[in-house]
Amino acid sequence: MLQNNLLLSSSPHVYSKIDTRKIMLAVIIALLPVTVYGVVLFGAHALLVILVSVASAVIFEYVFRLITKQDIRIGDFSAVVTGLLLALILPPSTPIWAAIMGSFAAIVFAKEFFGGLGANPFNPALIGRAILLMSFPQRIGGSWHIPFKAISDATTTATPLTILKLGGSIADVGKSFVEQGVAANADYASILNVLFLGNRAGCIGESSILLILIGFAFLLLVHVIDWIVPVCMVGSAFVLSFILGADPLFAILSGGLVFGAVFMATDYSSSALTVKGKVLFGIGAGAMTIIIRQFGGYPEGVTYGILLMNAITPFLDKLRTKKYGFVKPVKSGGARS
Amino acid sequence: MRKATFKGGIHPPENKELSAHIPIEQVNSIKKVVIPLNQHFGAPIKPLVAVGDTVKRGQKIADSQDRMTVPLHASISGTVKKIEAHLLVNNMEGPAIFIESNDSNEEEFLPILDPFACSKDEAIARIREAGIIGIGGAGFPAYVKLAPPPDKPIEYVIANAAECEPYLTIDERTMEESPDDVVDGLTIAMHIVKAKHGIIGLEDNKQHLVPILEKAIERKNTSLGFDIKIVLLKTKYPQGGEKMLITAVTGREVPSGKLPMDVACVVSNVGTLKAISEAFRKGRTVVDTALTVSGRACSTPKNLFVPVGTVVQDLIGSVIEVKENEVCRIVMGGPMMGPAVPSAVVPLQKNTSGVLFLNADEAQHYAEGSCIRCGRCMRACSCRLSPALLNRALSINDLDEAVAIGVLDCIECGSCSFVCPAHIQLVQRFRIGKQRVRIKMQKEAQRATK
Repeated sequence: MLQNNLLLSSSPHVYSKIDTRKIMLAVIIALLPVTVYGVVLFGAHALLVILVSVASAVIFEYVFRLITKQDIRIGDFSAVVTGLLLALILPPSTPIWAAIMGSFAAIVFAKEFFGGLGANPFNPALIGRAILLMSFPQRIGGSWHIPFKAISDATTTATPLTILKLGGSIADVGKSFVEQGVAANADYASILNVLFLGNRAGCIGESSILLILIGFAFLLLVHVIDWIVPVCMVGSAFVLSFILGADPLFAILSGGLVFGAVFMATDYSSSALTVKGKVLFGIGAGAMTIIIRQFGGYPEGVTYGILLMNAITPFLDKLRTKKYGFVKPVKSGGARS
Repeated sequence: MRKATFKGGIHPPENKELSAHIPIEQVNSIKKVVIPLNQHFGAPIKPLVAVGDTVKRGQKIADSQDRMTVPLHASISGTVKKIEAHLLVNNMEGPAIFIESNDSNEEEFLPILDPFACSKDEAIARIREAGIIGIGGAGFPAYVKLAPPPDKPIEYVIANAAECEPYLTIDERTMEESPDDVVDGLTIAMHIVKAKHGIIGLEDNKQHLVPILEKAIERKNTSLGFDIKIVLLKTKYPQGGEKMLITAVTGREVPSGKLPMDVACVVSNVGTLKAISEAFRKGRTVVDTALTVSGRACSTPKNLFVPVGTVVQDLIGSVIEVKENEVCRIVMGGPMMGPAVPSAVVPLQKNTSGVLFLNADEAQHYAEGSCIRCGRCMRACSCRLSPALLNRALSINDLDEAVAIGVLDCIECGSCSFVCPAHIQLVQRFRIGKQRVRIKMQKEAQRATK
C-alpha cells in the first residue's frame, strides 16, 4: 500500500532550477572580463587587491556569522560578489590593508549588521569604498597609475574626471592620453575611443565600457537583471550633463558611471524592486552623479549618487504596479469594496 | 492567427509528452467506489439512498433544494454499503457514499432533450440535474454560471482549452477524440446565455488540434451559424486561469472582487462543455472522472475515464503500474495547484483532472532562504501583485498593507513560489494570509454590529 514516505506539502510541487547561488555565479561571470582586463592594465598589484578583497569578504562573513551564531551562508557566493565588486571600484594602487578594511566595512557594517543577504539597505561594496574614500583621501584616489606601467615605477597621473575637476578641459584629457602613450592623437574621436575601450587610468574594473557592456549583455541574457535601472541612470546622466553644458558623451564614458549603473545600481537588496521605483531610482542616481561631478567636492559622484538613492528605496517600494483588476477604493484607508 | 496572452506567468517543464499521445481508456473494472457527497463549490447536499439500497450507474443518490448545489449520481451499479466520512483530496475528511459493484453494466439515463428547442429554464435545470460542475477548477456548479442575473448580459462564452498545468493531457485528448461534443457543448452554452461569440482558447503547444476543432466548428456552423473562433494562446502558466484567459482573449480585466459575468464572459473547461453536450444529447449524468495519470514514478502514464469515487489505490496494479519505492509525492491535479495527499486511499472527484506520482527528482523540496529582493516573483505574478512586498507585509502582521497590495486578489497559481531563488514559500503564506485577513474582517464586522 502506498502510504509510507509520502511527502505532504502545499502546492506548487515543482520549482525552477534557479537559486541564489546560480544568480551570484552569473554576476561573477559577468564581472570576469573587466576583472581580467583590470589585471592586464594595472598588473600584479591589482590582482592582489582583488584576491585579498574577495578572500577577506568571505572570511569576514564566515567569522561574523560564526560569532553571532547564525547559519553560515558563504556557499551562496554573495560575499564573493561583494568582495569582487569592492576591489573593482578601488584604485589599482590601493594598499592591501585598505582593501581588507574596505571589505570589513562592506561585509560587517553594510551587510551583516542589517541582517545579512537581502536585508542591507545600502550597497555593501559602495559603503566599503565610501568609507575608505573619506578616511584615507590621500591613499585612495589621491594618485592614479598609468595603464601598463608597473605600480613600483611610481608613475602617477590623473583620471579624466580629476583633470576636469582641477579645471582642465577635454582637450587636456586628450593630451594626457597621448603623454601616457594610450592614444596616438589628442582629437575628440581618439579620446572617446580610449574611454570606450578603457586603456586609461582609473579604478581596477571601471574603465572599459566595452567589457562592462559585454557583462551587461550577459546578465540580461540570463535574466539576472533587467535594463531599466542602467538605461535610466545612464540616460539621465546624459541628459543632465547636456543641460548643464557638459559634454554628455564624455560624461557617460568617463569615470565609473556605466560600471555603477550595470553592477551597483542593480544590486537586488539595496535598489528598487518595482518597475516605477526602478525608473525613478535610475533617473535619480544618474542625476545625482552629474550634480556631484559638476558642483560637489569629488571628481566622481557615482558612489554617493547610488548610495543616496539606496536611502530612498524603501519609499520607492511603495510605487507598485496596479494589480490585476484594480478598482479605485471608494474611501481612503478602508479595505477594498 | 494572433497569439494572445496576459502579463506575467512562468513556463515550467511541460512533461505532457508522457501521456499526450495515449488515447483515453474507459475503465469498467472498478469493484467499489467512495463517492464524496460535496464535490461542488457551494452548499452541502444530503443522501437520497440508505445503506443496503441497490443503485444503478447514473441514478441520483444525493441532492438538496439549496441554491449552489448539484445532485450526485451513482458511478457504478451495486449496493450502498455505508455512508460515512472518508479522507478526501483536500486532505480533510468528508461524508461519502460507499457503493460495492454487482458487476452489472446497466446505466440510467435522463430523457434526451433538444437544447435548442427547450426553454432556458428547462436547459438550466437539465445541466443541474446532470450534476455538472466546473471540472477545471474549484467545482463551481455549471448551471449557476449559465444563469447570470438579467442585468449581466453575456457576450462571450470561452472554452478553456489552455490546459496550462504541466503533465495534464486529458483536455487535449478530449478535444482530439470528441471535438464535436466540445463544440456542441459550447454552442449550447452560447445559446443558453445568448452570447454572440464563442471562443476556444488553446495554448499553442496544442496547435495540432486547430484543424480538428475547425472541422468540428464547420460541421456545427453549417446547421446553426454560431460565431466560434479559435484563439491561440502563448504556452504559459497560468494561461488557463479564468481571469488570465479572459484577459488574453478579450483584453478585459475582471475587476477585483468581481466575477467573469461582470465583464460579460462565461468560462467553461472543455470537459465541462463535453459533459453539457452529453447531458442533452445522451441524457448522461456525470458518472465518470476524466483524468490523466502521470508522473515519472508511474510506469504507465494514461488518460482515463474512471467512475467518480474510484479510490486511487484500486487503480494501481489493475489499470496503472506505479514504481512504489520511487513515489515520494502523490498529487491530485496538476503540480502547480493540485493538493498532495497522504496516501493513495483517496477517492477521485468529478473535478480531479489528474493523479501524479512524482519521484524525488520531480518533487523537490527546499529549505527557505532569505529574500534577496531579486524581483522574479514580481514579474511572475499573474495578478501583478508584489509577492515580495506582500510577504514582508504578512511577516510583520500588517494585514491592511497586505490587503492593499492585494492578498485577496491572489489566485494562488504558485508562480511566485516556483521562481523564487531563495525558495520562500510565498503562495503558501498568502493562502494563510487570506485566512488571517478574513478572520480579522469577521471580527471587525462582529464588533461593528455589537
